[in-house]
Amino acid sequence: MFHVSKSYLAGSFALRDVSIELAKGEFVFLTGPSGAGKSSLLKLIFGAERPSEGQIVVLGRNIARLGESAVPPLRRRIGVVFQDFKLLPRRSVEDNVALALQVTGTPPRETRARVFAILKQLGLQHRRYHHPLSLSGGEQQRVAIARALVNEPEILLADEPTGNLDPELTVEIMDLIASAALRGTTVVVATHELEIVRRYGKRAVRLEDGRIVEDTQPSFSRT
Amino acid sequence: MTRTTYKWLLFIRTAIRGITSSPVTSAISVVTIGVTLVLVGAFALLLRNMEELLDQFGDDLRVTAYLESDVSGEALRGLEERIRKIPGVDDVEAVSQGEALERFRASVGSGSALLDGLEINPLPASLEISLSQDRRSAEGMESVAKAIEGLAGVESLSSGRDWVEGYLRAVALVRGIGVGLGIILALATLLIVANTIRLGIFARRDELEILSLVGASRSFVQTPFLLEGALQGAAGGAIALGLLYALFRLVLPGFEFGLELLVGSAPRFFSSGEALIVVAGGAGLGLFGSAAALSGGWRT
Repeated sequence: MFHVSKSYLAGSFALRDVSIELAKGEFVFLTGPSGAGKSSLLKLIFGAERPSEGQIVVLGRNIARLGESAVPPLRRRIGVVFQDFKLLPRRSVEDNVALALQVTGTPPRETRARVFAILKQLGLQHRRYHHPLSLSGGEQQRVAIARALVNEPEILLADEPTGNLDPELTVEIMDLIASAALRGTTVVVATHELEIVRRYGKRAVRLEDGRIVEDTQPSFSRT
Repeated sequence: MTRTTYKWLLFIRTAIRGITSSPVTSAISVVTIGVTLVLVGAFALLLRNMEELLDQFGDDLRVTAYLESDVSGEALRGLEERIRKIPGVDDVEAVSQGEALERFRASVGSGSALLDGLEINPLPASLEISLSQDRRSAEGMESVAKAIEGLAGVESLSSGRDWVEGYLRAVALVRGIGVGLGIILALATLLIVANTIRLGIFARRDELEILSLVGASRSFVQTPFLLEGALQGAAGGAIALGLLYALFRLVLPGFEFGLELLVGSAPRFFSSGEALIVVAGGAGLGLFGSAAALSGGWRT
């Protein structure tokens, strides 16, 4: 990301002259107060927004010049997890996770097998026929993580993934997200919870008012 | 099976789920398309039979010169020769009084017993003048009739010109009303189908957002909606076809005999190919309605 600025309204910047480089397999926290630009930065990475200025290269594609038809193929290589889970309440857990494979035309038998495998890995195989609303918050977020990871993405983005969870579940969810980085996935987690950042001791990029004000390299590694 | 086949199976499943998840709005679409097609189809059916009637009469369009009762055989031959030389006359056939009665008897079919009671033959002898291809119109008949009018031995002329003109006007009127009504109803139907699909898009906006997040292409998201519209339209078309057939069977007995007497054949329902066009027309309406709804702005 080189000298990127993002403005939604003339004269009002969500991001200002942001330059940052993430290595493959790196685990990075984006920190800062609400409105600092963390979510905007994630949206730029998965092509939901285009930069007003500057260039962003994600998985070899320049987001600033990406045509609309090139966005879906890019997103299939990026998993995204949100604070509000974004699950379909009327579909089963299995169906929710399967969506990420169905868009690629994966055959049903392979889809079922891969969905079962990821749910088992996240300890949710017994919940696969349940509907999201019958699950706890932590379980719902695990389903969202399963959906983000089932396609074996090269990048995992998480926007305040533990914002709706109590402290015990926060650690459980963060451990799952961190484990993706161990398998070579680049992980970017936006959070305002400094306790989490301290706990994992990974690189932390602090944003304030749309600018990078601090870029702390890993001090120690717990995972 | 290929990935494309799996995708299409998924599209069909999603489209059916879209219909069943909002049965009331879907039913409104289906009924609207059905009503439109019943009305337009009724006009098409009427027009089709009217045009067929005209085709049947086309070959029979002729000028008939009814002869005075005292025309001798020699005068008749002379008259025939003179008429043959008139431009636009293709052939002249003499029909005696006896032949005229036999023809009438044959055309009446089962009602011919009524004629057995006649003591005298009321039908005059005539010359039936068939027209060359280029004169088979109201104007063509008029020019030939004018040339024959007043010839010695000719009592009166019957060309059916007024009938043809009137009939052509009626056909044009039915076609005009059918097309006009069709366009207005089709536009109204498109709006209703588009709104139904738009409601579906709105109801499923969370799903569409999530699909977009996991990398669904525009066609992956839009195809089920297009299919949903097409399926609703095809169902509407099939219902319309069934209703039209029921109406046709219900109304037909009332005037079947009269038409058979007049034309020699009963009205016919749509052929299987035409019936398919009605259903395809419904599917097309649904498809365009969905396309209109989607062009309203869904993006990845």
